[in-house]
Amino acid sequence: MGSFQNEFVASFYLQVKRFWRAKSRVLGSIIQPLFWMIFFGAGFARSVRFPGPSSPYMSFLIPGVILMTVFMASFFSGVSIIWDKEFGFMKVVLVSPASRRITLLGRIAGDALIATFQGLMISLVAYVLAPDLNYLCIPLVLGVAFLVSLATSSIGIILASKIRSFEGFGLIMNLISMPLIFASGVFFPVETMPDWMKVIAYISPLTYGVDIARGLMLGVSSIDPMIDLMAVSILSVVLVSLATLLFEKTTIE
Amino acid sequence: MLGLEIAIKTIDLTKKFGKLVAVDHINIEIRKGEIFGLLGPNGAGKTTTIHMLATILKPTEGTAIVGGYDILREPKEVRKIIGIVFQDTTVDRNLTGFENMWVYGKLYGLSGSILRDRILELLRFVELEDWKDVTLRKYSGGMIRRLEIARSLLNGPDILFLDEPTLGLDPHTRVHIWDYIRRIQKERNITILLTTHYLEEADALCDRLAIIDFGKIIAMGTPDELKSKISGDSIYLKVDKSDREKLHRFISRVSEELNTQPKLLSDSRIMIVVLNAPIAIPKLFEVASECGVAILELTYSRPTLNDVFIKLTGRSIRDISGSALDFIRLRRATRFGRR
Repeated sequence: MGSFQNEFVASFYLQVKRFWRAKSRVLGSIIQPLFWMIFFGAGFARSVRFPGPSSPYMSFLIPGVILMTVFMASFFSGVSIIWDKEFGFMKVVLVSPASRRITLLGRIAGDALIATFQGLMISLVAYVLAPDLNYLCIPLVLGVAFLVSLATSSIGIILASKIRSFEGFGLIMNLISMPLIFASGVFFPVETMPDWMKVIAYISPLTYGVDIARGLMLGVSSIDPMIDLMAVSILSVVLVSLATLLFEKTTIE
Repeated sequence: MLGLEIAIKTIDLTKKFGKLVAVDHINIEIRKGEIFGLLGPNGAGKTTTIHMLATILKPTEGTAIVGGYDILREPKEVRKIIGIVFQDTTVDRNLTGFENMWVYGKLYGLSGSILRDRILELLRFVELEDWKDVTLRKYSGGMIRRLEIARSLLNGPDILFLDEPTLGLDPHTRVHIWDYIRRIQKERNITILLTTHYLEEADALCDRLAIIDFGKIIAMGTPDELKSKISGDSIYLKVDKSDREKLHRFISRVSEELNTQPKLLSDSRIMIVVLNAPIAIPKLFEVASECGVAILELTYSRPTLNDVFIKLTGRSIRDISGSALDFIRLRRATRFGRR
């Protein structure tokens, strides 16, 4: 067997095992999206008559929250590469003869799988809250979510490559992920956004993922699904390539 | 070099972080199969040196040949033949001992039953076989160290780097780790470069060592050679003093024969400083029996590496507060250098 497999498997396995062993992370990852669905979804639906789609707000929100869950999870694991740099496992990778590019690809794939799994968990909860959505297409939604999380995990890794401190971690998490989530059509449709926000929406891979999910589950979408799919794919390829390129040049210190 | 093969050779190896020179043109040759120590206080440049030799930090100037490969031109070849235990632990605490080893082995292109067998053999070597399926959260500091040592041997390295291998471990565990290190050298014929700021460790473990301070090598040799640079050994004698005349003759004869001035100490012992105690002691007994003086008790102490460090730098390597300050200063300078 080629060494390609070995390096890929090593870091893929590491990411997945780590997540699986950290029980609090398994649970914690769906708590926040759950709150958004229950409190925001229920509260907002009653206080405002939603002007966009004719369906109730909860049904509008849920496909977005599933994608948001995946987005947050993969963004978090991407940025958490900072921890590895500081606490050492990265040194082990850098000092080994393993190909850095392939090692990182394994890591990104592992991140994406974990994130998609969290998307699956939140989908199960969503079924209880809004059973009228089309849940048969969840496998397709999760497939798209996997693509989105490849891109998102890469964004996290790219940002982390410029940050050396833990303080930076919190900063990135809040400063980058929150605006991206708000601007990606999770809580309100892209069409009603002010123009400046639309600019952010169209460069965010999450926007296209949310749109596909909403199209599949609710039958409402703002962008042609083929364009969505192409945009997500192109963004993933570009961002993954950029992340591996940067990682190639990583040194300690 | 007397037909001795060289495992590592540094050529003006230098690393600057901004204005701070962390490693300053060091030239050392480490022979195949020896345990070579880099001894120095915190912030002396030991870790930086190891990181450069392990190809994860680029030298500002100079280079090094590790196992026949140039660290600048053939880093990948170097990486294949070295093993390293970093100063900070680099394990994943959520994984078991076996899993940590497995991931590492995969990075080195090992797989299947070969990888499995090697992991088990090495876990047996460091006596962690029974712990292989336990997550590292339950391991003690010493156990994690042992696991890291075992892990560093997975790829069958020719050269092993150990950066402060016993830092923060209790004395008992430390001696235990020394044992493994000696066995790695003897049984596996691996060249070992270790850094330490523990004098006892350098003394007990290293065949040869270099003393490093502010990035410069200030002395090099076997521990004994280094210590013999100090004035000499001190011999303490307790003799039968009933006959004053015999005693005086003994003292004057000793001063003639050994070319030294014996001192009568307050606790009525005699202190004699000589160049080399093991050579001087038989002579002392000879003189004593000629003069008819009975030696009741004899002890001697050899100079320590700390004495050597004090002589060279005027500071004590044990002076914790001093070296901690140096350390902070270095860290600060390093931070500024990065910006």
